[in-house]
Amino acid sequence: MDVQAFKQRILPVQGRLFRLAKLFLRNREEAEDALQEVLMRLWTNRQELDTYHSVEALAVRMTKNLCLDKLKAHSRQKMDDAADMLEITAEGVSPYRQVELADSADLMRRLMDELPDQQKLILHLRDVEEYSFEEIEQVTGLSVNNIRVIVSRARQRLREGYVKANNYEAGY
Amino acid sequence: MKQDIDELLERYYEGETSLAEERILRQFFQGDNIPAHLESHAAQFRHFADARKEHPSMVFNNRLAEKLNQSEAGTVRRLTTWSLRIAAGVALLLLGFAGGLFYDQWRTGEPATSPVEATSALEMKKVLAFEQMPNTSASERIQAVNQSYELSQVDQEITQLLINTLNFDANVNVRLAACQALLRFENEPGVREALIQSLSIQTDPNVQINLIESLVAIKEKRAVDQIQRLARNQQVLDVVRVKAEEGVNRLAGHNSPS
Repeated sequence: MDVQAFKQRILPVQGRLFRLAKLFLRNREEAEDALQEVLMRLWTNRQELDTYHSVEALAVRMTKNLCLDKLKAHSRQKMDDAADMLEITAEGVSPYRQVELADSADLMRRLMDELPDQQKLILHLRDVEEYSFEEIEQVTGLSVNNIRVIVSRARQRLREGYVKANNYEAGY
Repeated sequence: MKQDIDELLERYYEGETSLAEERILRQFFQGDNIPAHLESHAAQFRHFADARKEHPSMVFNNRLAEKLNQSEAGTVRRLTTWSLRIAAGVALLLLGFAGGLFYDQWRTGEPATSPVEATSALEMKKVLAFEQMPNTSASERIQAVNQSYELSQVDQEITQLLINTLNFDANVNVRLAACQALLRFENEPGVREALIQSLSIQTDPNVQINLIESLVAIKEKRAVDQIQRLARNQQVLDVVRVKAEEGVNRLAGHNSPS
């Protein structure tokens, strides 16, 4: 695999890998560092890449593992940066609604973060990256039925957490 | 529509919706007119849609491209497999040997092909060539003979040329010069024999005396017979006969030291 083929096959996926890294690390700089590390590792092992069934699945798996390793090493130093998110949600909405949306986006991110790693990963791949169950199977090695159950549980858990938080706030 | 959404949502939480259906849900909740009873579902879908819009920064992309290009340039020179490394090593070794051999050949071949000596030998041959004799002066020929002193090594051709000059040159001085020159190459094949033979050819007393002295100097005992013949020859000058006698004695004396 030469540099051209590498760029064609790997670089389109880097947005995806970045979002995944950010999901786990919750920090833009750290996510970029992780992404670069993964890409360089893929690049140095590019001779072997052709033997893999799906390079993307491999890259996703590598990113997930690297992020989890980093989290373990840093013993969960939380470094949230919500600034990017705010900018995105803030387009063309009234200030009052903006705050409301920012609040709920913040809450959503917190709820996402509280999910177990496996649920977090699978829900992210499905609902953000629009992976099919078969693609998730390639990444995680779990059966489709198993994945379906995990997706369902994660979605319900998010919803319950959100409703509970809002009711609590409303009732307060 | 709302019915559809309600139904889709239900299946969504069961993990039963398809990707296309989930896309419909996300699009619906991105819109503005969301019924109040569905509002609580919206945050989730908005979050996913927003999360999808995130990309690594331009700075990162530039940095990455730089790194990739760097490592690309580096890999050209890198020998990755063992077989390639071994092959490169062997090739280098062979190159070294070949270089050494070539250099050696060049060094040993140098004296013979050294331009100065090659030209002087060539010039000498041209001047001393027998058929050239009427066209060249005696001093020219002596100079040519003396050019042989510049040669560190001579071949058969040169010594033969000098022998011919010694035996057949018309000028005595040239023959004397040739005799002196030949003495330098006494170890060349045929030179000593030619000097002995020349004794019977030479008629000039100067050359005769010179030859006798030379042969005695190099202790050539095979010359005793020839010198003795000279000593007995009545036609030869007295001086030469005395010199020949003395030479015989000295050579014979060396033969049986008492």
